[in-house]
Amino acid sequence: MAEFKLQAEPPLAGTDIQMGETRLTAPKDLAVVAIALPLGGEDKALKAIKVAYGIALPGPGLSAEAADGSTRLMRTAPDQALAIFTRADPDAEKVVAEALGDTVYLTDQTDTLCALELSGPGARAALERICPLDLHPQAFAIGAAARTVMEHLGVFIARTGEDSFLLLSASSSAGSFLHAVETSLKNTN
Amino acid sequence: MSQQNRIEGGLVNRAKPLKFSFNGKAMQGYEGDTLASALLANGQRLVGRSFKYHRPRGIFTAGSEEPNALVHLRTAAHGEPNTRATMAELFDGLKAKSQNHRGSLEHDLMAVTDFLSPFLSAGFYYKTFMWPKSFWEKVYEPAIRAAAGLGALSMKEDPDTYDKGFLHCDLLVIGAGPAGLAAALAGGRAGARVILADEDFLPGGRLNAETLEVDGMPGAVWAAQAMAELASMDNVRILTRTTVYGAYDHGIYGALERCTDHLADAGGKPRQVLWRIYSKRAVLAAGSTERPIAFGNNDRPGVMLAGAVRAYANRFGVAPGREVAVFTNNDDGWRTAADLVAKGVDVRAVVDCRDAEPPVSLPGVRHVRGAAVVNTVGRKGLKAITLTNGTTIPVDCLAVSGGWNPNVHLTCHQRGRPEWRDDLNAFVPGGVLPVGMAVAGAANGSMTLSAALAEGRAQAEGQIEALGFTPAKAEAPKAADEPRLAAAFWYVKESTKRAWLDLQNDVTVKDVKLSYQEGFRSVEHLKRYTTLGMATDQGKTANIPALAIMAECTGKTIPETGTTIFRPPYTPVPMGALAGRSRGKDFRPYRLTPSHKWAEANGASFVTVGNWLRAEWYTREGEKGWRDSVDREAKMTRESVGICDVTTLGKIDIKGRDAGAFLDKVYSNTFSTLAVGKVRYGLMLREDGICYDDGTTARLGENHYVMTTTTANAVLVFRRLEFARQCLWPDMDVHLISTTDGWAQFAVAGPKSRDLLRKVVDKEFDLSNEAFPFMACGEITVCGGMPARLFRISFSGELAYEIAVPARYGNSMMGVLVEAGKEFDAVPYGTEALGVMRIEKGHATANELNGQTTAHNIGLGKMVSQKKECIGQVLSQRPEMIREDAIRLMGFRPVDRSKKLIAGSHLITKGEEANMENDQGWMTSVAYSPNLGHSIGLGFIKRGHERKGEIVRAVSPVHGSEMEVEIVSAHFIDPEGERLRG
Repeated sequence: MAEFKLQAEPPLAGTDIQMGETRLTAPKDLAVVAIALPLGGEDKALKAIKVAYGIALPGPGLSAEAADGSTRLMRTAPDQALAIFTRADPDAEKVVAEALGDTVYLTDQTDTLCALELSGPGARAALERICPLDLHPQAFAIGAAARTVMEHLGVFIARTGEDSFLLLSASSSAGSFLHAVETSLKNTN
Repeated sequence: MSQQNRIEGGLVNRAKPLKFSFNGKAMQGYEGDTLASALLANGQRLVGRSFKYHRPRGIFTAGSEEPNALVHLRTAAHGEPNTRATMAELFDGLKAKSQNHRGSLEHDLMAVTDFLSPFLSAGFYYKTFMWPKSFWEKVYEPAIRAAAGLGALSMKEDPDTYDKGFLHCDLLVIGAGPAGLAAALAGGRAGARVILADEDFLPGGRLNAETLEVDGMPGAVWAAQAMAELASMDNVRILTRTTVYGAYDHGIYGALERCTDHLADAGGKPRQVLWRIYSKRAVLAAGSTERPIAFGNNDRPGVMLAGAVRAYANRFGVAPGREVAVFTNNDDGWRTAADLVAKGVDVRAVVDCRDAEPPVSLPGVRHVRGAAVVNTVGRKGLKAITLTNGTTIPVDCLAVSGGWNPNVHLTCHQRGRPEWRDDLNAFVPGGVLPVGMAVAGAANGSMTLSAALAEGRAQAEGQIEALGFTPAKAEAPKAADEPRLAAAFWYVKESTKRAWLDLQNDVTVKDVKLSYQEGFRSVEHLKRYTTLGMATDQGKTANIPALAIMAECTGKTIPETGTTIFRPPYTPVPMGALAGRSRGKDFRPYRLTPSHKWAEANGASFVTVGNWLRAEWYTREGEKGWRDSVDREAKMTRESVGICDVTTLGKIDIKGRDAGAFLDKVYSNTFSTLAVGKVRYGLMLREDGICYDDGTTARLGENHYVMTTTTANAVLVFRRLEFARQCLWPDMDVHLISTTDGWAQFAVAGPKSRDLLRKVVDKEFDLSNEAFPFMACGEITVCGGMPARLFRISFSGELAYEIAVPARYGNSMMGVLVEAGKEFDAVPYGTEALGVMRIEKGHATANELNGQTTAHNIGLGKMVSQKKECIGQVLSQRPEMIREDAIRLMGFRPVDRSKKLIAGSHLITKGEEANMENDQGWMTSVAYSPNLGHSIGLGFIKRGHERKGEIVRAVSPVHGSEMEVEIVSAHFIDPEGERLRG
């Protein structure tokens, strides 16, 4: 038994704000692992992803859930994607490595990013105040994903449902990130 | 006071009376009133004092072009000066007051300036307050500004909140008058995503203010029906109370929505929202603005634009006067007379400068042909007008129509120049419009209702067809073409009294002529000399008549005279709206280190480093100032062990088969040969060979490196590497991702650092010097299996490590390290002690890598490998960059050790005069070294490496200081590096 024990203190843990029917939460124990497709090894990597997750890796600007619903794959660049899933232990990279072997390069982003989920009828109106992208259902279909800037913060945004969005931003500025989204929600609902 | 001027009809809700006050006087209006219409309903003609001469002024218009009726709304910190009463929507409990007077509005002491007006013509200040020069800023200007001007700020922080936002559409329709409604209907019915924006709270534009019919129904009813249809469409977004104030690049428009200005209480919601609208196409249907005719004393309360008079009568059910005359140069003025007659208002005369038959038959109304108004009487309110034929007619309201100007402003925001149309005597949009914009209706010179409706629809259909939509097959709205003939008649030459052009800036016809006479003949000079067209209304009613007068002076045509340039915003935008949420601590995002909470609880003081908040020192009880804390932290670290959160340094995860080769290209030194499990210091150059950034890069695996950058350059280096990867060497298998925030990284430095880490690092990892020597690195576990990374690197020069754990465990890790270090008297240290120790060790940071220095300058010339190519390598070898006598990074200590060195001091050889010519270099960083007991410095000096032991002068003319300093090695502590290798 080690003499000292470390406690996890994720920056947005416990966030759960309800405004009318719209809700802002920080998903618990969300793990994020970046997947890079080796140059020249793309086919092999894509095949491995399909085998492991039961779906083809979505194209850039898109995201999709694995066949078993356990993992969301978000394509962030032609040669890069994020695997987003629930995992409390600090070994998320190992989990993905077990699935994909050495067909890809992996980097744990669980602690680099923090996440907020905004869902409900007021979600889009709230995001309109900070997100420069067109989130109209016609322009940003379910599954659409993009990287943008909100209130000076870099943010990945994915539409995960009819009225729900997953937002990822740098964990060091989590306080400003939450403030930006929460203020938008309060200003519009 | 009763609403004595309220007449029947209008679009106000008489079932909903609203109480308000003006200058403390209780009044009543109705829902649907503006403050202006309610004031007129209550018989309040005098509403303000003019800018320069403190002339009594009344309401002049019924729209956003209002130059006169600027009032202060609300009270205390919520107070807002310079609000146009014509745009302020009435609400219950509104408190308004007039501005720019000393004493009461009725008895303004500053009105004396009006009697001095013969001395105060255009350019008066420039000519008069010239001597002595120094008095301008301190004496004259403050005095003049106090005497002239508009409203006053509360000087309190604005308690309201503001927001911003982004909107997207296929078709933006600017203005919801007849053309705009027709355009929005066409776009909406075809299924395009439409945004319809209008500055008014009641869409409809002139349909609400006039009595013309559309599709056989009153215009206002048709407008309400059109709005109801638009509101029922999911693809149409209606923004009322929203002014599109600017046309920017690529179809982007700026718009200000006034969300809660019409409410007594904002209810915690943002008062205004500044929208950025991304449109694929736009139809500008901004309508037109009526212009006045200048004649003697044409600024009296009661003299109004004719279109405004009929707007008050038709839309608001208010007669601005009991006995009204109309003075016109065009057919449209006659429609005002007709509307007033229909409302039962006593129209005493229509004075038409044209000697022609009336376009409208008004039995019983006196028609004065070929005449003009030459003067008026009634200082605080119009009493009578005098005509050029000598007749005097007693009236309390004069409706003036000098024709209509298309609102071309937004067409000019990207340097489009309007074109003159002789048949309209007005400028219309020129050929070059902002990308994606079409113009419809009166804004495009299609002045009749029928033409506006047709053009609104046609332009919108053209725009959406270009986007691939098919226009719906609906009947076009039908209306008649009202008479619109007009004469070019700008001012009454027979007037001997002052004839006002720009009511907001008190500019007269005579001022324009004076400007010409004194040589300020270009319109741009005219504007600056007379201030014509400046201030909050930007001369919306004044510019064209003034141009006409200047054209007459110069003998040119109006189009030859030209216009000034219209720039955004179309109407004023409050500073609060431009700031949005970016106020106070939310001005920009903040970044916290993983151990921030621990630091806060343990006496840390924080410094902003970019967006980061970093602990600068930790105050202990009894410490009297920062130096006490910093000296202690630096000393204790060197004596035992110190812990510092260094997470802010940039970390870039680099993976791929070509990662090593890639690093060889971006660093001046070689990394492909670095062994797995080792760290190397790396220096990056700019393309021009100047130092760019530095840091250590560790090789954790065959295809895996972790680069660190300086805190300040973390993002820039990442971007530069991405550029290199994607654009310079796309054939390399290299992948980058930032992990700066992912790992909580702590420097553990000092002779006891190994002992401390042994208590935290899991036992299977051997930390002995043999197993884990200087510049070793590895992936380990701590505290019973927690994944961690350990690097044996040293910034302080001590035996030192950096240890990293996943960031969410960082706060806990800081506590654990301090707890585990208790037996060694471990100390947390901040950025100041970090700085002291790096100066003691002679390590360069941003002060030295300042964008002007080379590797050669900092003594790392040999690190620029000549065996391979890297960014900056070729240009770093230019002769000038590697001169023998170049400045070199050295250490400095004061000859008199009790003296304090000053950073920025310039170094001068002894015996030489302290001037630029003899400048030998400068001191870049200084600190008090608690370990040496005196001040030390780093700096650059020519041929420094050959001058150790020489005494030079450190001169700082800014501080008026000079002292002798000795050139020494930059490595004050442990120059041989025995400690860090131990």
